[in-house]
Formats: sequence, C-alpha cells, structure tokens
Amino acid sequence: MLTFAIKRIMQSVVVLFVMSLIVFSMVNLIGDPVDMLVNPESLPEEIDRVRQDFGLDQPVHIQYWKFLAGAMSGDLGNSFIFGRPALTLIIERFPATLELATSALIIAIIVGLPLGIYAGLNPDGWGARIIMGGSVLGISIPTFWLGLMMIIVFSVLLGWLPVSGRGETANFLGIESSIFTLDGLRHLIMPAFNLALFKISVVIRLARAGVEEVMALDFIKFARARGLSSQRIVRSHLLPNILIPIITVLAIEFGTLIAFATVTESVFAWPGLGKLVIDAIVNLDRPIVVAYLLFVVTLFLVLNLIVDIIYAALDPRVRLQGDDL
Amino acid sequence: MKKIQATPMIKENNRKFTNVILKNLSQPATLVSGILLLLIAFCAIFAPLIAPTNPYDLAVVSIMDGRLAPGETMFDGTVAWLGTDGAGRDVLSAIIYGLRTSLTVAVCSALIALTIGLLVGMTAAFFGGRVDAFLMRIVDIQLSFPAILVALVLLALLGKGIDKVIIALAIVQWAIYARTVRASAIVERRKEYIEAANCLGLSSFRIIWKHLLPNSISPLIVLATLQTAHSISIEATLSFLGVGVPITEPSLGSLIANGFDYILSGAYWITFFPGIMLLATVAAINIFGDHLRVLLNPRISK
Repeated sequence: MLTFAIKRIMQSVVVLFVMSLIVFSMVNLIGDPVDMLVNPESLPEEIDRVRQDFGLDQPVHIQYWKFLAGAMSGDLGNSFIFGRPALTLIIERFPATLELATSALIIAIIVGLPLGIYAGLNPDGWGARIIMGGSVLGISIPTFWLGLMMIIVFSVLLGWLPVSGRGETANFLGIESSIFTLDGLRHLIMPAFNLALFKISVVIRLARAGVEEVMALDFIKFARARGLSSQRIVRSHLLPNILIPIITVLAIEFGTLIAFATVTESVFAWPGLGKLVIDAIVNLDRPIVVAYLLFVVTLFLVLNLIVDIIYAALDPRVRLQGDDL
Repeated sequence: MKKIQATPMIKENNRKFTNVILKNLSQPATLVSGILLLLIAFCAIFAPLIAPTNPYDLAVVSIMDGRLAPGETMFDGTVAWLGTDGAGRDVLSAIIYGLRTSLTVAVCSALIALTIGLLVGMTAAFFGGRVDAFLMRIVDIQLSFPAILVALVLLALLGKGIDKVIIALAIVQWAIYARTVRASAIVERRKEYIEAANCLGLSSFRIIWKHLLPNSISPLIVLATLQTAHSISIEATLSFLGVGVPITEPSLGSLIANGFDYILSGAYWITFFPGIMLLATVAAINIFGDHLRVLLNPRISK
C-alpha cells in the first residue's frame, strides 16, 4: 500500500515538473516577453536594460531554473494589471469558486438522485421517459447559454434575482461565504443551478443505471420474499448500494466543476478564479495565467492522487495492477 | 491467398453495419434526429445559397437595421424573421453562416484527433508491454484534466483563430480516441485471424492497417459522433469566453456572446435563436449517437 502511494506521489511530481516545463516554454519561447513589458517606441538601450533586469538575456536553462526556484517558494511574478503577486490573487479568489462548485455539487445530488431512482424503478412509465429525455437535454444544453436564458427570465422579465456578483458575505465558524446571508443566497442560486445542471443529468443517469443493476440482484429478491415494503427495500437495501459509485464519480468530477465554473463565473460575473483567469487571458496578463495553470494542475493532481489512493485502499486489484509500471 | 483471408471478415461487418443503420432508422427519435442532422449539414454546406442575406458583406449590412425585433422588415425590404443584431445583421443569416464555422471546426478537429488516436491506440495495442503502458499513462494523465480547461489553456497560449481552435480541440480529443481504439483492438488482437495473419508472415503495418483496423472500427463510429457534439459545445463555450474563433468569422458561440451585451435591454433574440440552433444540433447528434451505440453494441441490442 505504502509503495503504491509513494509511486503515485512520485508520478504526480513528475507530471507537475513536465507541466511546468511545458508552461514555461510556451509562455517564454513563443514571442518575446520584453515586447509586452516595454513601450514599443523605447530606445534600444532601454530595451536592453529591461531585458537584463528581468534576466531575459541569460540562457534558457538558467531562466527556467530561476522560474522553478521562484515557483517553489510561491513566487510566480506580479500581475501586470493588479501589480500584486499572482499567486496571492489566485488564492484570494479561490474561496468564491469553491463555494460555487460545492453548492452545485449538493444541488446535483439533491435533485438528481431522487429523479434517477424514480426513473430506474419505473423504467417504462411516462415519468421515466420525461426524466431521461430531460437528462439528454441537460447534457446537450450549453451551460453558458442556459445561464443567459436564466438571466433573461429570472432577472430581466420577472425581476426576482440579481444579475451578477456575489452579494453580501458573512463569517460563520471562520468560513467567509455568501451562503450565510439572504442577499448572498439570492446571488448564489442562479449560478449554482446553472453549474449544477450538467451534473444533475450525470447523477440521474448513474442513479438509474445503478438501480437497474441492483434491483435485478438476488438480495433484493430475498428482501421481497421476506415481505419487506418497497419503501424499506429502496431505503435500506438499494440506496447504500448505488450511493457508493455515485459518490466516487462525483468526487472525481469535482475537478470538472471547478473547471466549468470558469464559464458560469463569466456569465454571472461571479468574482472567482475563473473570472480572474478569463480576464487575464483577454488582457494578456501572463503571470496570472501561469499561476492559474500551475495552481489548477496541482489541484487536479492532488484530487486524482486522493481518489487513486482511496481506490487502492478499497480494491486490492488496483494496487496489484499498479505494480506493472 | 492473403486477400481471401481478410475480405470475408470485413464484408460481414459491413453488412451488419448497414442492417443496423436500417433498423436504427425505423425508430422515431432516431429518424427525427437523423433528418435534423442532414438538414443542419445541408444548411452549413450551402450557407451562401440558403441565407437570405450575407451578414458579412459590409456593403449590404446597415446600422439602420440595428436591433429589429423578429418579423420586422429591414431597410432593403427583406424580412428579418429572427430579428437583427446590434450592427444590423440578419440573425437568421448569421446563424446559418455560424453553423458553418461551428461544424467545420468540430469535424476538422474530430478528423485530426481520430487520426492521432488511431495511430497511438493501434501502436499501443499491437506492441503491448512497455510501449502500451507508457502511451496509456500519457492518455490517463491527459484525460484526468477536463477538456474545457485544457482547451482554454492552449488557446490562452496559442492565441485566437479558427486553425488554433481546431488544433486545441484535436489535442483535447485524441486521448479518448486512443483509449477506445486500443480497447477494441486488444480484443481483436487475440482472435485467430490475427494469429493466422502473423503465421503468414505479414508485416506489422499490414496487419494493423488491413486486418486490425477494419474490425475494430464500430465503437469508433459511435465515439466520433458523440465527440463531435461535445466539441461543438466546447468550441461554442470558448468562443463565448472570447478565446475561440475571431469575431470576423463568428461561430454560434460568438453570436451568442455578441447578444450577451443586449440581453439587459430586452433584445433577447440575438442570443436566444443562435442558442436554440446550438442546442438542436448538439441534442440531435447526442440522440443519434446514443441510439447508434445501443444498436452497434451486440450485448445491448440482443
């Protein structure tokens, strides 16, 4: 078990290293960064001085080494626009994104699970058809467009909910979040549903497939034969068995929620990580883009690492397979 | 002698495939989505002939026609059935042209990704061992990052442009093709006809190309269908975020982004109709692909 974990950690470190190399070369070798830092009308001597100040006159491998040394100590350069350390900006914005993604995940489970179980239990009924049709629609509908339509309906036509922003936040048990104020909740509900919709469809499909698989098994037949009520069978025999795979998939997919939050944040002007990076891309604020990249890569590697190790702990087959490499 | 060995296997597969298509078309949902797909493809290919106006001909587009509601008549007498945008372009015509850009990007990137995926997947399956382990590890790592994120990052570094979006989408998708090709090729590889081909002393290239490939292609057809829907959606999202196709050649995504500025003033049609078109295209491909999967999978269709 320990060897497996160590191997996986080593592998993640290698991936992170390779990613830093790719990011560095793409940012620094395509185009001259000096062009972006100085006024195009400056004198050649001035350009040379800037080049020296930023260490850009040195050989590439030394530049990379400096970049790596800086990254190790958390220094990824200052944002061109905000004039503050890029990593600090990223970390400041992260809680808003985390809040949005977590709310979306909870909504996806609360809405998707009952619908999926219903569709699985009555596979031929009209209800199931509507639910499954809805889930195809949910997977096909472009998130950003749905967000715009939500704004048109709930903000412009009905005037019920605010269009953008995060609203008031409050501090509860040391967590700063808009969940704790009414104004915050009013701001949160549209973006959270918007982000959740795709995952609701995924949960519906997983739950239905799980129900169909488990309901055909012998222990359900035995439970029926023992004369248990359908409700009891669903609650204490079916649910625990379908929940484990659904939770696992959602844990893996949590990363994609953070990635897709970029889109939702742009639509609703939610002041999170995604909004920050999209603005940075548009404004050519490279330090922010680089910092975001390395932050997200690290986040994903850690998430995958945790999932892999939990898998290995639960299922010896995974552990043995990992020994090939 | 060698040819006789290979031909019957492929023929039988082809016949099976034709039967599946015919059986598939008799179901209403598939029939409707199939017809819709043909219509969409037709509109995209013949856009200049079908569209009422050319939305990118600056001589024709007039700012006087700006933000007309659906059904109003434009300055030159043409009826704007779906309204006009802020610059006076007919939304219907813009959608038809946008569809063209969206589909071009999706199909080109799918073809490139499919080619890379085939090469990598076949190599992994055929050679096995360390080559296989190494290639599949790269695939695993790539697939552990969400497609939208990888594409976003690539475009942030590459810059805007149709060619760049195609490259980014191809890089995003190759891994999923490689994994699918490898999975089905590994199953085929163990069968006797490959053993027979090996005994006949055929070259690796020939075995892969003429024997392994034609027999492991059916899961790929399904995957390519569903992936096309996925990449249309990703491209639209990227263009909406302003990192996709340039404004001079708008796709459905950039049309929706263009209307974003007008929704608060009530001009809903500029975003609404391109979005409906996008939704219809993606949903039609998804439904068609789903049925194709069920019918091409012998375990489910029996």
